[in-house]
Amino acid sequence: MSKAKEFVQKKETKIIKGNVAAAYAAKSARVQVISAYPITPQTTVVEKLSEFVDGGLMPGTQYIRVESEHSVMASVIGASIAGTRTFTATSGQGLFYMNEMIHWAAGTRLPIVTTIASRGAAPPWNIWADFSDVINARDTGWMSAFCATHQEIYDEILMSYKVCEDHDVLLPKFVAYGGFILSHTSKPVILEDQDLVDQYLPPLPDEKGWPQIFIDPDRPMMHGNLIMPSGFYSEFRMKIQDTLMKSKEKIKVATKEFEKIFGRSYGNGLVEEYHMDDADVGIIIYGDLALQMEQAIDDLREEGYKVGMTKLRHYRPFPTEDIIEVAKKVEVLGVMDRGTAFGSPTGGPVSSDVLASLYNTGITTKILPMMAGIGGREVNVEQQKEEIKTLIKMKETGELPDNLIHGTLWDGILEVK
Amino acid sequence: MANGIIEISFAARGGQTAVTASQLLAQFAFDKGFIDVIAIPIIGAERRGAPIWAFTKISKNKPIKTYDSVVNPDYMLIFDTSLLNIPRIRDSIRESTILLINSDKSIDTTYLPNNIKIYSVDATKICIESNLMLSSGPILNIPMLGAFGKITGFYDLEIMKNIIKEEFGEKRLPKNMKVAEEAFNSVKEVKS
Repeated sequence: MSKAKEFVQKKETKIIKGNVAAAYAAKSARVQVISAYPITPQTTVVEKLSEFVDGGLMPGTQYIRVESEHSVMASVIGASIAGTRTFTATSGQGLFYMNEMIHWAAGTRLPIVTTIASRGAAPPWNIWADFSDVINARDTGWMSAFCATHQEIYDEILMSYKVCEDHDVLLPKFVAYGGFILSHTSKPVILEDQDLVDQYLPPLPDEKGWPQIFIDPDRPMMHGNLIMPSGFYSEFRMKIQDTLMKSKEKIKVATKEFEKIFGRSYGNGLVEEYHMDDADVGIIIYGDLALQMEQAIDDLREEGYKVGMTKLRHYRPFPTEDIIEVAKKVEVLGVMDRGTAFGSPTGGPVSSDVLASLYNTGITTKILPMMAGIGGREVNVEQQKEEIKTLIKMKETGELPDNLIHGTLWDGILEVK
Repeated sequence: MANGIIEISFAARGGQTAVTASQLLAQFAFDKGFIDVIAIPIIGAERRGAPIWAFTKISKNKPIKTYDSVVNPDYMLIFDTSLLNIPRIRDSIRESTILLINSDKSIDTTYLPNNIKIYSVDATKICIESNLMLSSGPILNIPMLGAFGKITGFYDLEIMKNIIKEEFGEKRLPKNMKVAEEAFNSVKEVKS
């Protein structure tokens, strides 16, 4: 692939939308194949990339337009098996339409990175921030990360390629961020020097492709064929779980190396703590609400409350070990979900996982499952301060709030007759 | 002002280019040395003529950690006087809010807080005279921002010039700078 005409990115700060930051990250990662189908609020990610490709800024990159999200994922699967670095983006209903191929991508062990500008699941029709879409893809074998800032979108995409393409991992990954709240607001984002990004990321795969999965006439291999129950199906599934759990260490290493090269830190990669060490009361929270919760914590600390938070950066693999350590630090721990897992123990996906993580550990910390911002309903800092004060009251009285719905506090919910 | 962060809200109608204005303001302020900025459009089912909101927050010395709507604006840019007839918009104006209104006539202050500071600029006329028009009407963002730069000093015409050139290209620069300067020079305080 010719690099003759290429525009080489120098380090600069641009005020850009979250979606544009995602597009710049794909460009910085020198992705070789992009497949695109528009859906709100993701659309401007692939629009920006089409501008880059059309404008000659990504020479050699193939941009494929298809007729549906199902075909988007099918085409990046094909491109990835052939041994290229691939990228696409989707949201909500688009991700649901992709679902069959999502399983296929993980089952084939392909390092595809896909961003999700998350939106609520329809019906009723909803295009605003809600992580129910990426949560719906929970059990597919993909890794998934939540971003809280515009910069984190850019950075997390780079870190994701590093982890996904590790030859001991070779699994796909979602990078999710709140629709409109991050996708369409503009903030300063540092775009990194191309040389440093090249130094950080693994080299692009050569014509031989990935070591374990490839299309090569000289080394014929069958993909995805029928395996009898007595064959290796069970073992393939076990290996996905084994790899996902082991990928936690890879994520930690990739995050540390990122910090070394670019100077921006994201906790241990799986979780990021904020004022937790001396806190009596804490909250686990993810996505854009986590940045805003920092402001609520700052304000409450100024008022003298010993409160803290832990930002959940990865949902899959779930950082069980870190969650146990976080729970040990406080007397009361809230777990805030912006997304639904209907019929699960709490109704919230992360709060259910937190409770499962603490089982049999002997930890007596009181846990309050919480829910806010569903379908993009606005959550402001004042509301977040009240959420923390609810936890403080729980600590003081030793009692749960009396307005729980099946054990979970649905904050900011209207009265339904 | 919340936590030392200056908050600006934009009330306009779809097609009056206020969302772009909110983004450009963030860029101007950042170039002037504000360390953090955010432009927040409120996206729903917008169409031309419908009331729309956008917000910009700018900070001199600390990171902005919020994505929420501005409810106590330090400044409010109102692109169309008819918006003042909408209770939801009128009610968002605080006593301390400084208003910049696009208007060619005196402002009816009957329903506004007492002693509120108001500036006005005839951005529509400035655009029409320079033929800075879209099919939806005058492109009000640059003259509104020119006037806003004058009353706040948050940025200057030189910074506007650099960013307009970068964003819209050399070809569109002269006409946009002409309207920016005219608004900069003609914005005036209204006695309430």
